[in-house]
Amino acid sequence: MGYELVTKSVEELAPLLKNREISSKELTKTVLDHAEKNNEDINAYISFTRERAERVAEQVDRDIAAGDYKGMYHGIPMAVKDNLYFKDEVTTMASKIHRDFVSDYDATIIKKMKDAGVVFTGKLNMHEYAWGITNNNPHFGASRNPWNTRKIPGGSSGGSGAAIAADMSAATLGTDTAGSIRIPSSVCGIVGLKPTHGRVSKYGCFPLSWSLDHIGPMTKSVTDAAALLEVIAGYDTNDPTSMNVPVQSYTSQLTGDMKDITIGVNEDYFFKNVDAAVEASVRQSIQSLKDQGANIETVEMPSLRHAEYTELITILTEAAAIHHDNLVGRPDDFGDDIRLLFELGELPSAVDYLRAQQLRRQIKQEFQEVFKKVDALVMPTLPIIAPEIGEDYVDLNGEQVDLVNNIIRFTGPGNLTGLPSLTVPCGFKQEMPIGMQVMGNAFDESTILNVGHAIEKTNPLKGKKPELVR
Amino acid sequence: MNPSIKEVLESKGITVAEEHLPVLQARWEAVELLKKETNDASLADFDIALRNIPGGDHYGL
Repeated sequence: MGYELVTKSVEELAPLLKNREISSKELTKTVLDHAEKNNEDINAYISFTRERAERVAEQVDRDIAAGDYKGMYHGIPMAVKDNLYFKDEVTTMASKIHRDFVSDYDATIIKKMKDAGVVFTGKLNMHEYAWGITNNNPHFGASRNPWNTRKIPGGSSGGSGAAIAADMSAATLGTDTAGSIRIPSSVCGIVGLKPTHGRVSKYGCFPLSWSLDHIGPMTKSVTDAAALLEVIAGYDTNDPTSMNVPVQSYTSQLTGDMKDITIGVNEDYFFKNVDAAVEASVRQSIQSLKDQGANIETVEMPSLRHAEYTELITILTEAAAIHHDNLVGRPDDFGDDIRLLFELGELPSAVDYLRAQQLRRQIKQEFQEVFKKVDALVMPTLPIIAPEIGEDYVDLNGEQVDLVNNIIRFTGPGNLTGLPSLTVPCGFKQEMPIGMQVMGNAFDESTILNVGHAIEKTNPLKGKKPELVR
Repeated sequence: MNPSIKEVLESKGITVAEEHLPVLQARWEAVELLKKETNDASLADFDIALRNIPGGDHYGL
């Protein structure tokens, strides 16, 4: 099967494994061969764990043969972002400072995935300490976008986005503080889900900004994301932000039925200063939702004009607090870009931070009011198309604009409010993917996954693959 | 008299690379501009995105 096998989604692979039409060992070996071959171009992996992966896959095959099939992710080969702790293994955070860090426990999310029978194939590249959106890493090299290797794969989970787009992992996880799941998912043409804050435990994930951090699936399909959320979600006493809210069967609710769904569209914030091709693709998808029976309503959200400042103050100061000692003691060991951000994060006052949290409540309350009227909000995931590696500015309808400030404009509110947010591919511009974002009410991942499923069903470009990996 | 960015950071024990100073200055001015735009926000005293619940955040859940 070779290349055909690695291109399959988890929903396609799972029945083959369950019915023993393929073995996990064969699948794992094929994915690893493909990943090692392509890593020179893509640089998605920081490290491979072939020996252990093949050993675990053999055990999986024995378990399945004995009738102990654990579910859709049993026997699936996956690499994950290198800021999630594995017991007795190095977790680098893609940094020089933590290059040899070994955790003495598994992150809760890793333990859950091991229990579900996932086969781990290695660790994925990321922006250093997850504090950036380009994945241009000074210690492990830049990850490259499989659709165009001159372009960024987004970040901070850039290795994760690139690995899925290039079929170097069947599915994966990202972490998201201002858009770090959704940005690389959007620019790599895959599905990315940032669940509700508190839905997925962050115990054993190196923090970037405590109150904004999330972990979630990055996958080839909405069904794969829904099934992975079922594996990783749940209350955890080890994480003080974890919430005891029942986990649903997300896959069973993927009907694609839009008849009783009301979709909100905010024109003033989420459709302002957007690349014309991005806007056209997203509006076409909104029309497709309407054609499928959804009711579309315009909503006003004036507090969003403060979102950029609120996100910035919160992330800058919380990240600076985490890295303060190393900024004082060994500043030269940080990459230049994040050292600057840590320095900037030392400048706001405690009053600035706390007033930002007051603004944040106001934004949250405005979203709560909107979700009394609509089931989901839709908007472009990003207002721009991915630029080339090393660029600090990006073209927006003929104007050069700051990359970082613009790329997080539509994803940041999901972190500020903690509300679940999903990106699904909805188009292309010059062979680069475009994503559409669906935001939902707190702990209502089911609705946004179902809306994403409806968008995915009608996307005429579904199944398109980057040329590089053929 | 307002201390410079360099003085603020050095007072915290942070050594700033000279080439960072103009970039820091420009970025900090951009943050301050955004802050000015929040002056018209009417902030409610009781609405703040922080909690401190005795017995832990999960008490009563």
